[in-house]
Amino acid sequence: MFDPVDDLIERIARHLQRPVQIDPALDGRVMREITALPTPGGATALGRAWRWLRRRHQLTLTPLGGLAAAAALAVVVFLSRMDRTPSPAPRAESRAFQFVLVAPRATRISLVGDFNDWDATRTPMRRAGSEALWTAVVPLAPGRYHYAFLVDGSRWLADPSAPVARDEDYGAPSSVVTVGAGGGDS
Amino acid sequence: MGIHSVGTSDAALVRRVRTGDTGAYADLVARYRDRLGRYALHMLGNREDAEEVLQDAFVRAYRSLARCDDPERFGAWLYGILVNRCRTGGARAARRARRFVHDPAALETAPLAGPDGRAEWDDTVRWALARLPTESREAFLLKHVEELEYEDMARLTGAGISALKMRVKRAREQLQAMLKEAERV
Repeated sequence: MFDPVDDLIERIARHLQRPVQIDPALDGRVMREITALPTPGGATALGRAWRWLRRRHQLTLTPLGGLAAAAALAVVVFLSRMDRTPSPAPRAESRAFQFVLVAPRATRISLVGDFNDWDATRTPMRRAGSEALWTAVVPLAPGRYHYAFLVDGSRWLADPSAPVARDEDYGAPSSVVTVGAGGGDS
Repeated sequence: MGIHSVGTSDAALVRRVRTGDTGAYADLVARYRDRLGRYALHMLGNREDAEEVLQDAFVRAYRSLARCDDPERFGAWLYGILVNRCRTGGARAARRARRFVHDPAALETAPLAGPDGRAEWDDTVRWALARLPTESREAFLLKHVEELEYEDMARLTGAGISALKMRVKRAREQLQAMLKEAERV
């Protein structure tokens, strides 16, 4: 049966479906912008971590495991001065921040975030002091950064001591740190 | 998802970019430029805003390519980024419009013509589309122009399927009313 509403909507849709030509110069602008960015590699471990994160999981914790999980407590500590240079090149006005995670059972941990393009190879954390304590120092310019910890190459942890942020584009939880112009964090 | 690629697969291009072949990203940009540009243009109603948002979406996608966990569905993933950027860009454009348009009556001055004249019809459709609430416009375009399934729309927008169906229904009703009004005058 002929429906005038459907016919009208169909005409509008057909009209709007006509091909649109965007200025091909846009390609050049995009390529110029990304040439200055690091290669979005390091995807293998990170991609696996994301796939793992986005699947549903059922976790069973033993009492000991529960204690270990409870011990996985992280803090972000501002260091006004530091003696060693971290892996990423510091930018102008950046200050050093130390990220700390307590994870007694981990064998390796990477700090990933906006500041290293979520590249799991760029900021490995090191054991410091106790066997359970992992640290990494990163220079951060004023701004807002999302970050997370990648444990043993496959387990993705938000920082339990920092605000959790839901990424508007990707929907997965991470933590967020805001560095003020004075160098303080929140 | 109604987003497909031809020739070298998206996944192959994504893999090349991830291994340092930045030039492969140009192929992806060229592949999706016009298709995504159409959505941005209809959403924002302004070519300059659309190109700005589109460029931003491509750059964001590149920076986050390590987080594209299914390279075969790069197009759908990129589309999700664009939909979000259009929301932000749309809000910015609306603020700008509020700043510079001081005559509310001017907004009511629609191009009044029937569908026989192509240019007039184009103006009328654009005018009606621009008057839809952002959420309704987004839902209408994704359903009727991009021809996505409701499940895919829900994944892209984060809205529930029932809510999306309602938005599409309202958009259809509002468009019908506006077009009828335009044809009467």
